[in-house]
Amino acid sequence: MTAREQAVAAEIRRIVREELREPGPFADDEELAGRLDSLLLLALVTAVEDRFRVILGADDAARTRSLADLARLVAAREAAPAPGPEAAP
Amino acid sequence: MGPVEPPGGLLAGAPHPRVAAVGRALPPHWYDQETLLAALGAYWSSRHHNPDRLAALHRAVQVKGRHLALPLEAYPGLDGLGKANDAWIAAATDLGEAAVRDALARAGLGPADVDQLWFVTVTGLAVPSIDARLCNRLRLRREVRRTPVFGLGCAAGAGGTARAADLLRAFPGEVAVMLSVELCSLTLQRDDASIANAVSSGLFGDGAAAVVLTGGERGTTAPRGPEVVATRTVLYPDTEWVMGWEIVDGGFKVLLSGKVPEVVRTRVGPDVDAFLAAHGLARGDVRHWVAHTGGPKVLTAFGEALGLPEQALARSRRSLAELGNLSSASVLFVLGDLLDAGEARPGDLGLLAAMGPGFAAELLLLRW
Repeated sequence: MTAREQAVAAEIRRIVREELREPGPFADDEELAGRLDSLLLLALVTAVEDRFRVILGADDAARTRSLADLARLVAAREAAPAPGPEAAP
Repeated sequence: MGPVEPPGGLLAGAPHPRVAAVGRALPPHWYDQETLLAALGAYWSSRHHNPDRLAALHRAVQVKGRHLALPLEAYPGLDGLGKANDAWIAAATDLGEAAVRDALARAGLGPADVDQLWFVTVTGLAVPSIDARLCNRLRLRREVRRTPVFGLGCAAGAGGTARAADLLRAFPGEVAVMLSVELCSLTLQRDDASIANAVSSGLFGDGAAAVVLTGGERGTTAPRGPEVVATRTVLYPDTEWVMGWEIVDGGFKVLLSGKVPEVVRTRVGPDVDAFLAAHGLARGDVRHWVAHTGGPKVLTAFGEALGLPEQALARSRRSLAELGNLSSASVLFVLGDLLDAGEARPGDLGLLAAMGPGFAAELLLLRW
C-alpha cells in the first residue's frame, strides 16, 4: 500500500475501534464482512464517506472485501472523485 | 445464589398479581417512512457528505411508518429542549390519560379503584410528574401512591410492570396502573447526522400504553389476563456504552451502539434459562414470547439467543413494522395485541422481555 493508503487504513481502523467499538487488531487482508455484520458495515461505510468526503457505490461494495481494499478504494476516490452530486456543475 | 421459587413451586403460596388489562393510545398524526425521511433529509443534506447513506440506514430498520405526537409541520419550531419538553408535557398528559382510560375500561374498573400509579418514560421531563397531573385529570383518589421512573429506557415497560407486580405482593388487595408514555419524536436532535441518530430517527415512534394489575386478593368482573408469577432484572456489567442519552444543550442526544444485537445474542439466553430454571421450567415450557420490538436485528438476535422459531416473534415484528419502536411502551403494545387475540389458554406460560440502557434485561414470567 502507498503511504496515503496506509494512512487511510489507519483511520478506518480507528473508526472501527472507537466508533463501532469493535476491539482487537484488524489485519489489512482481513475480510470486513467476517468481522462486521451488515448493519455495522453500513455504519462503517457511512462514517468513511463522511470522514474522507467520498461517495461509494454498490459496484464498489462488490469489489471491496478487505480493509486494505477499502483503504485503496478511498485513496483512489479521493484522488479522482467519481461522478456524483458534488461533481455536477 | 439467584432467587428461587418458594417451596411447592409455581402453584404454592398466595395468589399472584394479575394483568387485568392493557390499554393503548397513539397520537393521531401518522406518517409513512418516506415522508419522514424526506423531512429529515432537509436537515441532513448539509450535515453529511452522502445523505443517501443516512437514508439507507433509516430504511434498514424495516418500519413502515410512525405516529408522531405533533403534526410534522410543528417540529421545525421546536428549537431547543425547553420548547420540545413543553410540547412533551402537554402531549404526554393527553396520551397518558387516553391510555389509562382505555386500560381501566377494559379492566372493568374506574379511576376510584386505583391504589398505585406508576409512570415510566425516558423521552421527557416533568415536575410535578405526569402521574401527578393524571391524578387530577382522572380524578384519582388523593391517597394514590405514585412512582415516576425515568431512565430504564426501552426496558421500563417490562421493568415498571415487574416492580408494580412485586409491590402488589405486599398489598394483594390493591389495584396498580403502570403507564408508559414515550414521545421519541420530541427528542430528535436535527443537527445530529450521526449513525446512531440516523438509525434511531428511522426506528422510534410515539405512543402510550397502560397496564392494570390487580393484587392476588383483588378480583375484577372483567375478563382477566395472565398472572405475573415471577420477575427478574439483570444488569450486564460494564455495558453502559451500549445505549443511552447524552444530555446536550439541545436535549437528549441518542447513544446507540451497532452492537446491541450482539449483546442481546450473547447475554440473553443464559439469563432467560436461569430465570426459568429457578421455577423448574425450560424454554420449551413457554408458549408465548412477548418481546420488546427493539429493531429487526435485535429481534433476530433475541430469537437466535433462545432458539425460537420465527413465528414466536411474529407479533413483535408486526408491531415494529406498523408502529416503530415505542421504547418502553412497545412491549406493552405487544402484550395488548396478545390479549386481544385471545390465543392464550388457561395454564399457558409466557415470557415478557425487554432490554434497555444499563445495559439490562427485565423479564416477567406470565401464566394464564
